[in-house]
Amino acid sequence: MTRLLRQSITLSAANIKSLHRRAWISMSMILSVALVVVVLLGFLSMANGFRKTLDATGAEDVVMITSRGSFGEAMSRLTTNQTHQIEEGPGLLRSASGDPVLSAELLVPVDALTMADGQTATLSLRGVGPNAMALRENLTIVAGKMFTAGSGEIIVGQRLSTKYRNMQIGDTITFGRSEWTVVGHFRANGSVFESEMMADRGVVQTLFERQNEVQSIRAQLAGVSDFEVFRAYVEDELDMGLSARTEKEYFAAQATNVSRIIVFLGWPLALVMAIGAAVGAMTTMYSSVSDRLTEIATVRAIGFSRTAAFIGTLFEAIVLTLIGCVIGVAIAKFGLEGFSASTRGGANTQLAFQLMLSVPIVVQATVLALFVGLVGGGLPAYRATRVPLRSAMTGRS
Amino acid sequence: MTISNNSTIELRGVSKSYQRGKSKVPIFDELTMTIEDGDFVAIMGPSGSGKSTILNLIGGIDTIDAGAISVGGTVLGNMNESALTRWRSNHVGFVFQFYNLMPMLSAAENVELPLLLTSLSRSERKKRVETILEIVGLTERARHLPSELSGGQQQRVGIARAVAADPQILLCDEPTGDLDRKSANEILELLQLLNTKLNKTIIMVTHDESSTAYAKRTLFLDKGRFIQQEMNQCA
Repeated sequence: MTRLLRQSITLSAANIKSLHRRAWISMSMILSVALVVVVLLGFLSMANGFRKTLDATGAEDVVMITSRGSFGEAMSRLTTNQTHQIEEGPGLLRSASGDPVLSAELLVPVDALTMADGQTATLSLRGVGPNAMALRENLTIVAGKMFTAGSGEIIVGQRLSTKYRNMQIGDTITFGRSEWTVVGHFRANGSVFESEMMADRGVVQTLFERQNEVQSIRAQLAGVSDFEVFRAYVEDELDMGLSARTEKEYFAAQATNVSRIIVFLGWPLALVMAIGAAVGAMTTMYSSVSDRLTEIATVRAIGFSRTAAFIGTLFEAIVLTLIGCVIGVAIAKFGLEGFSASTRGGANTQLAFQLMLSVPIVVQATVLALFVGLVGGGLPAYRATRVPLRSAMTGRS
Repeated sequence: MTISNNSTIELRGVSKSYQRGKSKVPIFDELTMTIEDGDFVAIMGPSGSGKSTILNLIGGIDTIDAGAISVGGTVLGNMNESALTRWRSNHVGFVFQFYNLMPMLSAAENVELPLLLTSLSRSERKKRVETILEIVGLTERARHLPSELSGGQQQRVGIARAVAADPQILLCDEPTGDLDRKSANEILELLQLLNTKLNKTIIMVTHDESSTAYAKRTLFLDKGRFIQQEMNQCA
């Protein structure tokens, strides 16, 4: 072991052993770092959870057709003529009778009351065709039954059933002038569909006075490789201002946009807080150097190097930072992860998702915490190397 | 610059002043003195006379404005910071008025500190620490923290730490200033033992006139000049 390493280890260990003398100020540094980590992890896990929710939604062999230029289904409008042309497209899976397996769908924003405080929230009611279930392999009825075509029955995403009123099986729920009976709860592998309600498209069109209106078409491809042929048909051959994307592409694009907004909001806030924490860390570490002034001067007088004094102080800052980081990650893990959040989805409706941590975002938070430790500890560590050695002669340790 | 190799410590025409606000306060002006190898010198003088500054200068923890200080032929002013730090660890041991022990380290760990700067192995360091603690009579207290020791015991640990790396020079700044009479005498006897048996060169700054009896000679400093020297026959 080199002499410098021995000196550095000795001083680092001595600093850590003397932390109890600076317990409160060290604690404040730990907590401020923990706060920064929690805030950053909160935003990142929100973006991550949102992305994961949308990632879990799309299939590669299901193609989604909307109006070109529309960001989501809400802005899209498909005419009856367009629908007929799409049904004739190549590469679609067809039943024995030759009909394509597709579902023309309509998304209607409706108001529901939250279970907790009775506040009004806007949700999505999706009117779907008979193939809707076949096009959503992950969608399973977990309680009750599927709605009956042509009836005023409705099925509700499991997430909604726990958060909103009148969504238990057998309940009657009113949207505007329409009245619906809840007949089933469904799960959809954590996808966005769990934030929706589904009913027969024809009934939805009638009750909401949107006859013949369709916003999107989901169609089952014969195979993943058939997508290009179908896309070329819809976008180039038909040339009717339509866009065809695989369901996975569609939701990935939506996820990227929204999660980018969350991350863009989260990082600046976390950085501003990190700068504040770094200033706090600097105060803590200056106080540490001041507290150990005589000790530092004494070991320097004995012959310990400036570098060892620097490393010893920086090590203390890094240790405090890492403790704060671990606490922050633990709070995020046990306090935030799994927490249900919601954001505006298509048609200004609620889209529920869960906050999810991941190794990459924990690494990002740790890097930010280390940044706080290095910035906050760097200057005080330099100060430790400049302690006047005469202090050893005059000070009490 | 080499002045002489005949004596251990030589100060030649040393000037030193400190900046206080906008004015410069002179401490020494062309101070000259020689301390032979194996000498035990007590330095007395009123507060502010520059006693501690002499120790700082000889120990290389402060710098002079003019003149030269040499120790065993090595001119301190010619060394850069890191060379001076290495020189200090090899040649000088410090004994402080308030002991300056690391409060979180045991007596043995405090004594081991200067040995971390040597190439001794862990077992060699352990053996050396045991030997030194035995010399200062603290074998039984090796694992105790400074807070668990009396003032006299803490100062003995301080002396053990100062001599652990076997430096030739011991610089003692009021080593008994914080101790009762009995403990002070024990410390002074220990220093005397190190001087007579191990031939350590000891320079001791003190306010306590009775302490000077343990030294071979006493220098009286006032306003930056040695005004008197007394040889001690008993020492």
